[in-house]
Amino acid sequence: MATGSDSASTKTVLYVVVVVVAVLVSTVLAPVVWNATQSSDEDSDTPSVAVITLRGGTTSNNVASIREDLRQARNNDSTEAVVLRIDSGGGPVASSEEIYLAVNRTAQEMPVVAYVEGVAASGGYFAIAPATAIYVKPSSVVGSVGVVATVPEVVELQNQQRQLFIRSGPDKQIISVDEIRNIVESFQNAFVGTVMKHRGDDLSLSEEEVSRAGVYTGTQAVENGFADEVGSLESAIQRAAEESEDIEGDNYNVYYKEPPEMLFGLLFAEADVEKRDGNIVYVDRGDETETEFEQPVKFYAVWGIPEEYTTDGNREVSINETN
Amino acid sequence: MKLTEVLKPLGVFVLVIAVVLAGTAILSVATGSNGSGPTDGQQIQGQSPGQFQPDAVNVEADPEEGELSVDAPEGEKKILVDTSHGNTFDRAKLEPVLEALAEAGHTVDIGAVSGGGFGSGDYNATLQEYDALLVIQPGSGFSDGQRTALQKYTDGGGRVVVLGEPTQSALGQGTFGLVPTQITFGANGMTTDYGARMGADLLYNMDDSANDNNFKEIYAEPTGNSPLTEGVETVTFSRAGYIVTVGDTDASVVLGAADGTRTLKDDRTGSYATAVQNGNMVFVADSDFITRSELYDVDNEVFVSNLLNFLVSGDKPDDVPSVPGQDDGGGF
Repeated sequence: MATGSDSASTKTVLYVVVVVVAVLVSTVLAPVVWNATQSSDEDSDTPSVAVITLRGGTTSNNVASIREDLRQARNNDSTEAVVLRIDSGGGPVASSEEIYLAVNRTAQEMPVVAYVEGVAASGGYFAIAPATAIYVKPSSVVGSVGVVATVPEVVELQNQQRQLFIRSGPDKQIISVDEIRNIVESFQNAFVGTVMKHRGDDLSLSEEEVSRAGVYTGTQAVENGFADEVGSLESAIQRAAEESEDIEGDNYNVYYKEPPEMLFGLLFAEADVEKRDGNIVYVDRGDETETEFEQPVKFYAVWGIPEEYTTDGNREVSINETN
Repeated sequence: MKLTEVLKPLGVFVLVIAVVLAGTAILSVATGSNGSGPTDGQQIQGQSPGQFQPDAVNVEADPEEGELSVDAPEGEKKILVDTSHGNTFDRAKLEPVLEALAEAGHTVDIGAVSGGGFGSGDYNATLQEYDALLVIQPGSGFSDGQRTALQKYTDGGGRVVVLGEPTQSALGQGTFGLVPTQITFGANGMTTDYGARMGADLLYNMDDSANDNNFKEIYAEPTGNSPLTEGVETVTFSRAGYIVTVGDTDASVVLGAADGTRTLKDDRTGSYATAVQNGNMVFVADSDFITRSELYDVDNEVFVSNLLNFLVSGDKPDDVPSVPGQDDGGGF
C-alpha cells in the first residue's frame, strides 16, 4: 500500500511539475504568438495618427527612411492622418525633391500636418510644402526657398584649367559657369514653383519675393503665409485628426515612427563612424561611388554654410541624442 | 521505467502548451484585425507634378550670337592697356578684344612698351605714343600728375575707356591655392575728374525677365541715342556695380540698369547708371562683359564693338598730351 500510495503521489507531483513547466514555457511563448497574430496599434480598427519625424538633413538616407514611413502610413488601413515632425535645414536637391514627392503623395490620400520642431528651411521646407497645415513655434525657422551649387576650382579658374582628359566631344567634362547658372535657375524654378503651387494662396509674398530665399521665424511665417498656426506637436496632431474624415472626435490613437537614430542608437552605418567622444560621434562619409571620379558640381537645397568653412574642417559632427 | 510513464507526462506537457498557445492565438485573432489588404499594385500611384514639367522648369539661356567687329575708320591706331595701377584682370579675358582689334589693323600694348615710370612727365610721354587708353579694374589711384596728363589727353582727342568693378569678394590665387580676397576700384579720383565715380555696392535684379538666369547677372538698357549703344537693346553685366555722376558734370548716362534693379547690400531700388560717357572718356561699372563667357550674351558683342570703335575713332594729334616743361603740367 505504502508503495502504491508513494507511486500515486509521485505521479501527481510529476504531473504538477509538468503542467507548471508547460505553463511557464507557454508564458514565454504566448507573447510571441500574440504578436504574430495580433496587429499592432497601427493596424487596429481604431483610426490613428502617425507621427513621423525627420531630424537632420534631407540626405538620401534620411529621406529613404521617411519615404518608407510614409509608405507604411499610406498602406495601413487604420492610419488616417500623418503629422510630419521636422527639424531639417535641407540637403541635396535630388533627395529634397524625393521627400517632397513622398509627402505630396501621402497628402493626396490623407491629411498631412507639419510640425516645425526647429528648422524647416530650404530642402526641409520643400518637404513640408504640400502639408495640409504647417505648425510652428516662435523659434522655428522656415523658408530659404533656393538652390546652391558647389563648383570645383576649375570653374572659377576656367581660363587656367589644363587639359586633363582626352574627351570625345566638346561638352564632355566641361563645366561652364553659364551652364551651372542655368541648372541652378531651373532647379530653383521647380522649387519655387512647388512652394507657389502649394502655398501660393496662403502667401502674402510674391513669387519673386519667395525666390529671394529669405528665412522667417515662426511668427513671421504665420504672418506671411509660410506657416499656418503657432502651436505644439499636440496641436498638430489634433489638427491632423480634425482634418481627417475618418476620425471622429477624440476617438483615435497616435503612434510614433521613431527616427532612425532612436531605433538603432546611431543614424550612421558603423563603418562611417570615425571617432566617438562621449555623446559626439564623428562621421566621415566617404564618396559613395567607388570610382576615382567625383561628381564635379553638386546642387543643394540647404540653409547653412559648407562644412569646410566651419572650424571642424570637412568632417560632419553630430550629437547622438538619446532623449 | 515504462514507456507510458514517460509518454503520458510528455503528452500532458505538449497538450498544455498547445492549448495555451492555441487559446492565445484564438484570442489574438479574435481581438485583432488582419485583413489581407490591397495588393501592391493597387498602392502604386505615380505622380508627375505640374510644376516639375519642362515648361515650368527649363530656362532658356540668352542666345550667344552675333559677332565682335571693329569698323576701323582709317589708319592704324595704337592702344595702351593700363597695367601700372594695380589692375586686376586676366590677360585671357582680353583675348577676344585683342583679336578683333588686331583684325582691324590696330596695335595694342598691354603695359607701356617704352617710357614707363610714374612721373607726370613720363606719363605724358607714354600717353603721347597712344591714341587710346584702356583701363581695366585699377586697384590703385592715378597720381595728380597722371590725372592732369589724362585730362590733357582726352581734351586733345585721346580716347579713354575705364572698365571697373565695385568692391566685392573674389577668389585669388594664393601660395596654397585659392584664397578669398577683396577687390576695390581704386581710381575714383581719376574718374571724378570726368564727373563720375564707382558706386558703393553691387547690383542685382530678381525679375527673371531682367536678368540672365541669375540675380547678379543684370540687364542694362540704353538710356539715350549714343553711338555707343547703336544696335544695342540689352547688355548683361555680371556682378556689376553702378556709377554715380558727381556734381555739375557733362557726364551722360549711356546704359542704365533695367527696372527693378536693386543694390545688393542696402537693397535700394533706383535708377542705376552702368555706363557713363563724358566726351572722350567712357566709364563702365563692370569688366567681365568682355570675357568669352559673357561676350556674346544678348547684345554684349554689339556694345563691345561700339566701345572698340570708340577707342579707335579718336583724332588725337601726336603731341598730345604735351610733355611738362613745355606747359604747366604738375608733378606728382
